[in-house]
Amino acid sequence: MGAKDRRAPLDVAELVDFERGLVDRRIFTDPAIYQLELRNIFARVWNFVCHESQIPTPGRYFRNAIGNDSVIAVRDREGAVRVLLNTCPHRGNSVCRADEGVARSFFCSYHGWNFDLNGDLLGVPGYDDFYRGTLDKSQWGMASAAQVQSYNGFVFATLDSEAPPLEEFLGWVGRVGLDMLCARGEIEVVPGVQRNLIQCNWKLAVDNLFDWYHPKVSHASAVRLNVLPESTLYPNDQMVLLGDYGHAIGGPGLSSENQARLERQHDESAQTAGADGADGSRRHAHAWRLREDVRERMGPVGVRTRGHPNIFPNLWVASGGTQLCLRVPRGRGVTELQWYTFVEKDMTPAERREVIQHAIHFFGPAGLLEQDDGENWSHSTRGAAGTAAGTRPLNFAMGAGLDAVRADGDQASIDTVVNEHGQRWTYQAWADWLAAPDWPSLVANHTAPPTEVI
Amino acid sequence: MKALAAMTLDERVRLQFEVEQFLYREAELLDDREFERWLELLTDDVHYWMPVRRTTTAREADGAFTQPGEMAFFDDDRAMLETRVAKLRARNSWAEDPPSRTRHFVTNVQIKDVAEDEITVACAFRLSRTRLDSEEDSWVGRREDVLRLTPAGLRLARRHIFLEQTLLLAQNLSNLF
Repeated sequence: MGAKDRRAPLDVAELVDFERGLVDRRIFTDPAIYQLELRNIFARVWNFVCHESQIPTPGRYFRNAIGNDSVIAVRDREGAVRVLLNTCPHRGNSVCRADEGVARSFFCSYHGWNFDLNGDLLGVPGYDDFYRGTLDKSQWGMASAAQVQSYNGFVFATLDSEAPPLEEFLGWVGRVGLDMLCARGEIEVVPGVQRNLIQCNWKLAVDNLFDWYHPKVSHASAVRLNVLPESTLYPNDQMVLLGDYGHAIGGPGLSSENQARLERQHDESAQTAGADGADGSRRHAHAWRLREDVRERMGPVGVRTRGHPNIFPNLWVASGGTQLCLRVPRGRGVTELQWYTFVEKDMTPAERREVIQHAIHFFGPAGLLEQDDGENWSHSTRGAAGTAAGTRPLNFAMGAGLDAVRADGDQASIDTVVNEHGQRWTYQAWADWLAAPDWPSLVANHTAPPTEVI
Repeated sequence: MKALAAMTLDERVRLQFEVEQFLYREAELLDDREFERWLELLTDDVHYWMPVRRTTTAREADGAFTQPGEMAFFDDDRAMLETRVAKLRARNSWAEDPPSRTRHFVTNVQIKDVAEDEITVACAFRLSRTRLDSEEDSWVGRREDVLRLTPAGLRLARRHIFLEQTLLLAQNLSNLF
């Protein structure tokens, strides 16, 4: 095939071939696709904004982004969490420039319009003298996200009033993913969200989280140091959970037989000595999963997974369930990574230190694992931009058509070897989001998770 | 060592010279990728720490940096620094293969305190990293180092690195500061 691009103009329905595992490279580079993503995904989806422990008291705020909109998550005077668009309704200037802090109100540095913590317009310089009674302050407060809801402390916001409730959007797979963090106990964010930019399309960062094929190569140097057991990085038993709207969990899992054995041992001894599993180095790693309330909450399939969840579109529950990594698009070829690290409030100082040190030393920009990922993603993004190279689809076919979906009650999993089901599922869901003109259409027409063969 | 205030000008000039030469030499070893020789300049109890910086209002500027025990970009002891060097040397250490070209600029060197055998030194730095087709990253900041006088000469006992960037513009921090 020559370099000549003989394909028709972009048709969203043609960009992802789920059965064959092929993805059109233009989805990483095309400006029109990126604009469509901002509108049809980020302005519509439930976006993670912060954890409630970051804004515990009235006035505490944390600035973040929803797609290309700057937003402020703030605890208002009544104690409710608000998510306000960080733009003055008068000239559009941002009213909050700090990353986080405590505010009594939000004051615009341009003309001095001043807004209450709930976004209400409080004061306008020259209200009487210049506007002469014609400005209706009740109409000119800061805009809010259309809906704000929390799942056990994780604050999500959507800019779309038609979005279904958060828990319905998350479905069981999204809830299980977040439960990996919050079912352990009462958790809080460790101060200091690490943020850095990678010159890649956001989706190439996201699809990597399901990728248990790359550690052996990308992270070869870290593994040679013997700082992590090989079983952690190359688990043979893989388990994939696929949910509505693109949520997925991929990575190591326990067989139902091994899970049953652990639960039996636990029930018999009523001890919480560390369970085995992919990340058995910490006492805390998996013992919590044996608690009756956790088994109930996560369900028979959910409790077996040790994999990497992605809350669609861009929230990775990372590091064995002690960190969140949010991948915020900053343009079609630039992604901001944000790392949130969580500890349980009742941890001993030593346990707390262990979680924090693990996070610093393995993940984040200086992490022994993470530092080797960025250039792969940025060069994959460049690889999609070539005139000739861009015409060749990417291959996400590993395992396609080869694995069975097994149901256990109303949960289902694919128990298999290393595969690319999570990535394929994410791109299929991505195409569904782009094709749907609105939420009702997405609810009605999105691809249902496979029930037989994937 | 004498307290700083008790030193004569000649003594202070001599100490300043020795401190500066140590910092330049140490920076040169990093830029020459002589990492093992760089490790030799660290004490066994070295603490190497780069907190996370946040943009705050002027009123809350005291809270810009995370505190010890909170999140950081580096919070390393000697063993961890040795691990980082071993990673730099390992085959297929992709972040640094092909290797980055780095240049450390160390300036505004001020001896802040001398107590017993330890010298607290503040400096301004710029680390410039160039990779592949001249992709450039640059980190500017302030360092607070503690140098310890040992029988073998000066050794680095503490390095606290305070970057100016809040959102880091680089894809990673695969180099040493």
